[in-house]
Amino acid sequence: MKEIITTKRGVMSKNLLGRVKASRKALIATVALTTMASLSIIVSNGPALAATSKKIGGSVSIWAEWTSTEQQAFKAVLQPFEDSTGITVHYTGKGSNMDTALDAAVAGGAPPAVALVPDPGTLDTLASKHAIQPLSSIIGTASKNYGSAWSNLASYNHKLYGVWFKAANKNTVYYNPAVFKAAGITSTPTSWSKLLADEATIAHGGTYAPVSLCTDIGWPVADLFQNLFLKLNGATAYNQLATHQMKWSSPDVTNTFAELAQLVGSGGSNLLGGMKGALADGSFPNCVASAFPTKGSPTAAMVFEGDFVTSSVPTNYTPGNGKSCTLKATATPCFNTFNFPAPTGSAYASDLQGAGDVAMLLKSNPQSRALIKYLASPSAADIWANLGGFASANKKVPLSSYPDPVSRADAKALTSAKAFVFSLDDLQVGWEPKLWADMLKVLQNPSASNVTSVEALMDTQATTALGH
Amino acid sequence: MTSITTEEPNVTSPKASRGRGWWRRNWVSLAFLAPGIIWLLAIVVYPTIATIRFSFFDESATKFVGLHNYASVFSTDEILTAFKNNIIWVLVFPFFVTFIGLMVAVLTERIRWATAFKAIIVMPIVFSTTASALVWRTIFDLDPHIGVVNAIEQTVSDWFSAPGAYPLNSSTGETVASLATFNAKGGPGGTLVSSSAVQPGGTVMMGLTRISSVTLQTLGAKTPVAPHEMAAGIAGLVWNDFSTSQPSNTTSIVSDEHGLPNLRLSLVSSKGSSVASTVTDASGDFSFSHVAPGSYHVQILASNFQIAFVGTFWLGSPSLTPVSSLNQTAQSLLSVPLIDLAMIISYIWIWAGFAMVLIGAGLAALNREVLEAAEIDGANEWQTLRRVTIPMLAPVLTVVFVTMVINVLKVFDIILNMAPGSSQGPATTLALTIYNDGFTGGIHSGLASAVAVILFLLVVPAMLWNLKKIKG
Repeated sequence: MKEIITTKRGVMSKNLLGRVKASRKALIATVALTTMASLSIIVSNGPALAATSKKIGGSVSIWAEWTSTEQQAFKAVLQPFEDSTGITVHYTGKGSNMDTALDAAVAGGAPPAVALVPDPGTLDTLASKHAIQPLSSIIGTASKNYGSAWSNLASYNHKLYGVWFKAANKNTVYYNPAVFKAAGITSTPTSWSKLLADEATIAHGGTYAPVSLCTDIGWPVADLFQNLFLKLNGATAYNQLATHQMKWSSPDVTNTFAELAQLVGSGGSNLLGGMKGALADGSFPNCVASAFPTKGSPTAAMVFEGDFVTSSVPTNYTPGNGKSCTLKATATPCFNTFNFPAPTGSAYASDLQGAGDVAMLLKSNPQSRALIKYLASPSAADIWANLGGFASANKKVPLSSYPDPVSRADAKALTSAKAFVFSLDDLQVGWEPKLWADMLKVLQNPSASNVTSVEALMDTQATTALGH
Repeated sequence: MTSITTEEPNVTSPKASRGRGWWRRNWVSLAFLAPGIIWLLAIVVYPTIATIRFSFFDESATKFVGLHNYASVFSTDEILTAFKNNIIWVLVFPFFVTFIGLMVAVLTERIRWATAFKAIIVMPIVFSTTASALVWRTIFDLDPHIGVVNAIEQTVSDWFSAPGAYPLNSSTGETVASLATFNAKGGPGGTLVSSSAVQPGGTVMMGLTRISSVTLQTLGAKTPVAPHEMAAGIAGLVWNDFSTSQPSNTTSIVSDEHGLPNLRLSLVSSKGSSVASTVTDASGDFSFSHVAPGSYHVQILASNFQIAFVGTFWLGSPSLTPVSSLNQTAQSLLSVPLIDLAMIISYIWIWAGFAMVLIGAGLAALNREVLEAAEIDGANEWQTLRRVTIPMLAPVLTVVFVTMVINVLKVFDIILNMAPGSSQGPATTLALTIYNDGFTGGIHSGLASAVAVILFLLVVPAMLWNLKKIKG
């Protein structure tokens, strides 16, 4: 979800990652098609829409970023609503221009009645302009279906303005269960020190590299740094760093870089192909293929990135940790995830980094109120959950709705998150690509002197871009 | 102006030329020119003016900031890196492409099938630079199985130092000592030596790890068998001390472990001299028979672990100049990333044909009598080229050279497509910076416009000079 979690400008920055998104969509398409049969059953039954039993009629417009197969899935979500209320929903998928398009529409005085945006910053901006309506009185008790982390992100001045309809988890480590087994690891690491120990075990075995590190232009390294920083220092410190209230030259950052260097190993000894190999072949999703190849055997055990990695895993891989997982990509290979581990005893173990789409009410009328109420209901999320490629922050969506153990684990982590933060790099308006490049510099040379020098550079860049 | 001005408009009068008659006579021409003029105004003149205007505004193009963006251009490491890379390109590329173009043009004059040969040389210009860049990205790939350059390097390197049966993975910084787990330690000169001493009649077991199962498979490694004592001899086993079922067991043989075949060993006496040598069998077992009484160590020779060739990271940012100890700004100004070299080579491949065509045309137009005179005077080929052809071709050569200077000042697509993500930053140029700052990431149209204006100013003199040359 690298490309959707962002501020207005960050969104455009993801042009480079268009290919990533395309491949993700390709997979979602497959999943959507294979599960279309189950969908038709859901649609014909029609989930209970408690508050909208009588036909309202009329029409309502809604915008979101989803296009192509995600658009089809969302339309499937809307279908039962239209059927039971008689309201015609006009959906427009704005792609990665969602924030910009909505800004322009609000400024032009013709916004849609309901809109979903991929970042909480836009919600705050619109709320401060009184362009969106408070929702507490409309959705009522449904607001309790979301954990406090999510409610806080959808609130402005202690008033609830949004409903997190779709969520994504970047707190994941993907691993090949067969490689873990071959390396003699029987359970996934639950603490940071266990992760480092498991890396050593895998390296000890000699056949597989512990990690295939995605480097690309630096954003995967930034994501890795962010995960680690969050687990070590918690959401409060994370948000301070995101807004540059905390300096990059602070000990918390330096410490995180030091831990990161341990994960990578000296000179990249834990990485596939060493540091050189990681830099040469670490483009995304190329790096995913080393742990989950389409042919032959894997060469690495783990890949760090968000839940969107699923879309880059070849379709013949079974999600989960079945008994018959094979190393051979042409037999019955598997993929699975575990949560990015925190140091033992860390208070921040269930703090989560991720992304999501929040629904907001821009024009209040019976139709739009019914729609936002519907989007807050578990039954709406349930439909897409069944289709795959989706996770909900709504606690009332049963985990059994998810088609596989990997997405189930995702949803569980998302709904139980104590604190939830958005990707920090995407908040660095004006210097995000520089931050990525800086991450690569630290990765290649984690010596104290270089870290100090790059941190100083980052502070300068942040100050120039953010004005403080 | 005076008495000439009458009721009849005068054709030659400047004042009258703006009159109805002028329009009547020229409206057809104007009508035909209009689309072109409007087009030019819309896509050349207006954007140029707008860019210059933007360069004085902040990142959202709303607030006037004066020369601030221009100051940033010269104080931002990324843009300084771009400047430096542009300078490298301008210094290296035009010269070599002109030189190679000249050589090819001169040589193709003398061969059969010249047309076919020229067609092949010219072909890369026809390809999309993106396609060429992707091809060259593969050619320079780090993995010798993919990149032909590294494959050649590997072949040559293997002649001089063939990798051992158990090559160390030097890319991850593996050392011989890191392989030792049981009764083994790093010895002199990259060898491994048994920790405990052994007497004739005794046995030695040495456990190693970090051996890839692929290597074991290739060597046909079998289940290790504990060595049997032999009279007046030393028997032993070297095995891969890593078990999937018991990964933490590093002291005894487990049934799913493997012996290490083909290891070259020597028996070292207490004085440190080698008294016998042998090779392990498929189960990793070995024996030294008829050993004189004394205390011995078993040594695994360094040649077993001879490092396999590691590709040159042609597409990486390691600098050809030693800059690692300098600060960030000095690094961006002084480093010469290896990828610049790889990209320049690729770009020469693309543009050599263009240079050849222009120079070839110049050659065809040369006065043959002068060349014949040189021949009659006894000048050899090289002298003719150096003293006659090149001076006479000088105008064409300079046009090619300057065109190539303009070309590489704007170099963009080959970098975007050939540099892997991690090298995009170190390999950036002004044009790529404009794209990155202006259209991706945290969009800063002001800064991007300032860079564009500077790039424009750099290109204009070369362009004007070229226009003048071409005209006359």
